[in-house]
Amino acid sequence: MFDPYILQQLAIGVSLGMIYALMAIGFTLIFGVLNVVNFAHGEVYTIGAFAGLMAITAFAPPLLVVLFIALAAGAFAGFGLERLAFRPFRRFSDEASLKSRAMREATLMSSLAMSIIAREAMELIFGSQFQSIDLAYLINKPIEIGPITIVNGDLIILAITLIMLGGLQWLLKKSPIGMSIRAVSNNALGAKYCGINTDRTIIFTFIIGSGMGALAGILVGLYYGAIFPAMGFTPGIKAFVAMVMGGLSSIPGAVVSAMILGLAESISTSFMPSVWSDMVAYAFLLATLIFFPQGLFGARRERV
Amino acid sequence: MSKPLFIKLLLLVIVFAVVPFALEGLGKGYYYQIATLAFVFMLLAASLHLVTGVAGLLHLGHASLYGVGAYVAALLGSKYGIGFTYGLPLAGIGAAFVAFLVALPTMRLMSIYFAVATLGIGQMLFLVFQNWVDVTNGPNGVMLFDGIDLFGYAINSELGIYYVVAVVAAVSILILNRLSHSYYGNALRSLREDDQCTAAMGINVTVMKIQAFVISAFFAGIAGALWAYTTGYISPNDFNFSQSILILTMVVVGGLGSLPGVLIGALLLILLPEVLRYFGDIRNIIVGLLMFGAILFLPKGLFGEVNALNFARRILGSAWSEDNSEKGIGWK
Amino acid sequence: MTTILELDSLTRVFGGLRAVDDVSTKVSEGELFGLIGPNGAGKTTLFNLISGFTPPSSGDVRFKGESITGLPVHKIAHRGMSRTFQNLRVFPNMTVFDNISVGALGMIGVSPFSALWGGRAKAREISERSWEMLEKVGLKEHADDLAANLSYGKRKYLEIARALAMKPDLLILDEPAAGMNDSETAELAQFITDLNKTGLTIMLVEHDMGLVMGICQRLVVLASGRKIADDVPAKVRQDPAVLEAYLGGDD
Repeated sequence: MFDPYILQQLAIGVSLGMIYALMAIGFTLIFGVLNVVNFAHGEVYTIGAFAGLMAITAFAPPLLVVLFIALAAGAFAGFGLERLAFRPFRRFSDEASLKSRAMREATLMSSLAMSIIAREAMELIFGSQFQSIDLAYLINKPIEIGPITIVNGDLIILAITLIMLGGLQWLLKKSPIGMSIRAVSNNALGAKYCGINTDRTIIFTFIIGSGMGALAGILVGLYYGAIFPAMGFTPGIKAFVAMVMGGLSSIPGAVVSAMILGLAESISTSFMPSVWSDMVAYAFLLATLIFFPQGLFGARRERV
Repeated sequence: MSKPLFIKLLLLVIVFAVVPFALEGLGKGYYYQIATLAFVFMLLAASLHLVTGVAGLLHLGHASLYGVGAYVAALLGSKYGIGFTYGLPLAGIGAAFVAFLVALPTMRLMSIYFAVATLGIGQMLFLVFQNWVDVTNGPNGVMLFDGIDLFGYAINSELGIYYVVAVVAAVSILILNRLSHSYYGNALRSLREDDQCTAAMGINVTVMKIQAFVISAFFAGIAGALWAYTTGYISPNDFNFSQSILILTMVVVGGLGSLPGVLIGALLLILLPEVLRYFGDIRNIIVGLLMFGAILFLPKGLFGEVNALNFARRILGSAWSEDNSEKGIGWK
Repeated sequence: MTTILELDSLTRVFGGLRAVDDVSTKVSEGELFGLIGPNGAGKTTLFNLISGFTPPSSGDVRFKGESITGLPVHKIAHRGMSRTFQNLRVFPNMTVFDNISVGALGMIGVSPFSALWGGRAKAREISERSWEMLEKVGLKEHADDLAANLSYGKRKYLEIARALAMKPDLLILDEPAAGMNDSETAELAQFITDLNKTGLTIMLVEHDMGLVMGICQRLVVLASGRKIADDVPAKVRQDPAVLEAYLGGDD
């Protein structure tokens, strides 16, 4: 049979992968609609964690309410981010300028600038150390299943991610706003001619993607008991890696890649010191860029 | 006397006479530290200018190459007793060597993929600085007790150190200036503008990019050695991602492609937070705000020859697919 | 006359589309040769196959007797083939002089070391050649202007001058007359004819028959990726297959 330790690492890997997947979906949706990389996505994740934390310290609501507050804060942050860092560079709304190279570059830098401002502002307000969290909220209560021990957080993360993925699936396939997101990412100009309000669609994409990222932030914060202003940087890069591995605009690709990353990372800790586990993600990133420029699933043709 | 020559002489007088005189007058170590910091970052910004401003490659890991230089100098000095005289060029060579290894596989990547690859590599080097405890001493950093020793003459006075740093930085910047304003610089610029077209002119695009990247890393390594020797202590956080972004912001704010602009951008971003430090530790917020403001309101930077937006259109975007029609999103 | 360029059953398939289908022809030294066809005929693809931008699916390109199939673009350029681009690709944020110097320096060669020390002879050669080309196309007074600020017609000449600064043996012009009015086209025709008289082999890729009919010595006509005619302009003009392609097509 399996070594129980490995099984335990697998459980952690699944949770990590789910978290990366939640974040990667935000990247992927935004990339799909605008073909841009949102460098401030990691900060949305941090904002989610801090919003949840503030709710906990202020009025100690039930966990579900905390999660909902984080989601709402993320959605709001996504809206603000879009207005501040992306909207000003979208001077025309035709396909060419919506997905133009100028947009990509300018918004890459403007979102980078926004992420610096947001992170530093949080550091000024909260300090750069770990925040103290009410222990009752931590989702690391051990649960024994046969020989292995997982924590309740693993189950919570699994459940919430599955709900979110299912909800996203429904949203994209059935709801009018999801349809318009798909339409704009398929063909922005065509969508516009069909009467779809591209501007509104873009805002909703940011809201949905950022809400999911913020949810990932509070879940991780409560899972590890570590909430601090710079917490979003590394997961942000990993989610980005998952998006690139998945082929840039494929949600299933990103989710599967995120799972691969999470599992690889947690398994790597069983044969090397955990401080090096981040190396796995960067190695995946470089290997993908160099050997699989179209993503692991070969979804797109690109000039690379 | 021609105007450029006059400006050059004026700059020399300021750097080598006025500033040291003022620093002596102020007579405090703190001001010397800032002057040194400014030189180190002007050199870093000038070296990034060659890659990002002139050759148009968005480089998000410059600080890690600067770190390689600093670690080479500090480790050679503290563990092997190799002093400043040889440590300085070796730091440059070490950084250039790492850059060469990095460049071989990544230089074929287009635009934004290259940017992401440099980010990944920068983070990998940072992890090495932080976690390869046997060599780099991990998060505790490396102490370098030796002062600057130039061919057997120990230079101990603050003024002497200032002159060493100023001369090394000035010579390096002059070399970078010469490179970017020669026909070689024209070839690099043409890469920035349109690399396919440049290849059709008979220029080996990959080789040119590797050259620019390695030269830039060499000078970043020199800057690292200067930093290690003037502060006497380095730690991984001196070379993390936000330092890379700080250097990039200097280049963007100063103006992509304009060396004087970049130097002024570097001065601005070093001096402004010092001036404003009574308001708390807001250096990085200023970095963010300046960068955002520069992109939004000054797309050409202070003195840029390339509009930052244009830069985007030409360089970064060229990798992304032109054809979005096949692409969809959602579960398929 | 010796053959400078030879295409041997060149084919390029994109997905299921045969963009260039089994095209063979020869270009002689000193010839002014035209490649025409209606929209979507595969002219630009064929052109990219010749200049190395796209690798062929099958077939061979021989330049000066040697196969250049699969060589990188810059190596093909070094063998003496120079091209312009259909949609005007000058370096917009560089001056006119600097634009042309890139054409010259690619051939003469520059290194970072020559930029610092001992590169004076090369630098002089580059600048002399660049001034010569500037004069040739009459852009001398615009030398210090940014290329982006030139008028459309002048940018066309700038692109040709940059290609000429490579001192090529074969110059390929991709739709040089696109976007020009009749008098500008006539002026360009004269310019190209004069260039050809100096002994330069020129290949013109054109969508519009007007320019090529007047000045080319021989024409190849493409339709749907296939060669449908290869003859002197007078004969091509009366070829029923060509008329069919042009009139029956979407043109």
